[in-house]
Amino acid sequence: MSDVLSLEVVDADGAIREALDEAAADSRASFLKKAVLGGGAFLAGGVMFGGFPKLALGAPSPAQDVQILNFALLLEFLEEEFYGRAVRSGSLSGETLAFARVVARNEAAHARFLQRTLGSAARRKPRFDFGEATENQAMFQAVAMTLEDTGVAAYNGQGPNLTRGALAAAGQIVSVEARQAAWIRNILRRQPAPSPFDKPLTKAQVEARVRRTGFIQS
Amino acid sequence: MSDQITIEAVDTDGAVQEAAEKVAGDSRAAFLAKGALFGGALAGLGSLMVPEEARAQTATDVAILQFAQTLEFLEAEFYAEALRMGALRGDVLRFARVVGEHERIHAQFIGRALGRAAVRKPRFNFRGTTENQSSFVATAIVLEETGVAAYKGQAPRIDTRSILAAALAVHSVEARHAGWIRDLAGRNPAPNAFDQPLTLQQVLAAVAQTRFIAGPVTTVAGGRPLFTG
Repeated sequence: MSDVLSLEVVDADGAIREALDEAAADSRASFLKKAVLGGGAFLAGGVMFGGFPKLALGAPSPAQDVQILNFALLLEFLEEEFYGRAVRSGSLSGETLAFARVVARNEAAHARFLQRTLGSAARRKPRFDFGEATENQAMFQAVAMTLEDTGVAAYNGQGPNLTRGALAAAGQIVSVEARQAAWIRNILRRQPAPSPFDKPLTKAQVEARVRRTGFIQS
Repeated sequence: MSDQITIEAVDTDGAVQEAAEKVAGDSRAAFLAKGALFGGALAGLGSLMVPEEARAQTATDVAILQFAQTLEFLEAEFYAEALRMGALRGDVLRFARVVGEHERIHAQFIGRALGRAAVRKPRFNFRGTTENQSSFVATAIVLEETGVAAYKGQAPRIDTRSILAAALAVHSVEARHAGWIRDLAGRNPAPNAFDQPLTLQQVLAAVAQTRFIAGPVTTVAGGRPLFTG
C-alpha cells in the first residue's frame, strides 16, 4: 500500500473529512493539511484494498523487541504529550474533557511502562509542537481520532514481529488504544468500530504518517 | 458494509483470487461466492490467511481458533436474537446491528480457516437477557469484555504468524465494541491503562457460568474441538 494515499481513498466513511469540516471554522488550512490530511491517512472505513501490507520483519528476537517497543514508546510519548497539553489548555469541555483526562492518564502509564521495560535502551522524549490541535476542541477531537486509530494499527502491525512475552505486554496496551479510538469516535458520532477487522499498518507507514504531522520537533 | 460487494471490486491486485486458487478442497467459485458475501474486509484478510493456514496449522492454533469461533458464535447469536426480539432502540440498536454483523463475519471467517475442523454452531439459550434493553446492555458488556480478554490471552500462544495477524485484527475490534457499549451504558470506556488477559480455562469457566451454551460443542466433522481437552 502506498504511503501517499489520498484522503478520499482512506476516509471511506467520511469520518475524517466531516470532523475536519466541523473544525474548519476556526482552523487554518495549512494546519489541517499538515496534521490531519497527512497524518490521518490510516484507516479505510470498510473495504480493504489489496489485503494486508507486508508486515513481517525478521523472526522475533529480544533485539527486535527493543526496536519495536522504542517505536511504540515514540507514539506513546506523542499521545501522552498531546493529551496532557490539551487538558492543561482549558479548551476542552464536556465528555471530550472527560475523554482527554482518562486517555492522558492511560497514555502516560503506557509510556512509563515502556520506559521501565526498555531501561537504558529507552529513547528520549522528543520535543513536540501540536500547533492549534491542543487549543481547540474540534481540532483536538479530529486529531485524537487519527492518533488512536493509528496507534491501534501500529500495534496490530508489530504484534506478529514481537516475541511471545513482548506480545503479551503489547496486547494489554493495544486494546486500551482501541477502546479510546471507539470512545472518541462515538463522541464525534462516527462509527466506533468501522470494520470487522482492524487493518494493521507497517512501521514505515506509521512513521511516514507521524512525520507528516510535523508534531515531532526533535 | 454492503453484502453486495463483489470480489472484483475489492480485489484490485488479484490477491484474493490468487489465494482462492490455492485453497485445497474448495472450488474457486465457491470461495469467491463466500468472499463476496463477507464483503471487502474479509476478502482482504482472506488473502492474508487462507493459503497458509489451510495446510500449516499446529494443534495449538486449531484449538485456539475453535475456541475463538465458539465465542464468536455465542456473541453473534446473542446479537441476532436481541435484534429479533425487537426490544432495542436508539444507539443501542445501532450498536447491536453493527456488532452483530462483525461477530457473524468473525465466526464465518474463522470457520473458513478451520475447514473441516470448524466448530458447528451450538444451540444457545440466552435466558431472557435479549428481551429488554438494560439486560442486553449489561450482558453485551460482559461478552465483549470476555472476548477482549480471551483473544488477549491466546494471541501469544499462536504459532502461525498469519493467524496471529488476523487474531490481532479481531482482538482490537472486540475492544472497540467493549469501549462503545460501555460508553452507551454511561461507564468509562477505557477504565484501566492495561487490559488484563484471561486464560482459556478462565474464559470457559465464565461462559459455563452463564449457561448460555445449551447444546454440545462439536466440529463440523462431528468430532470434539481440541480446546475441550
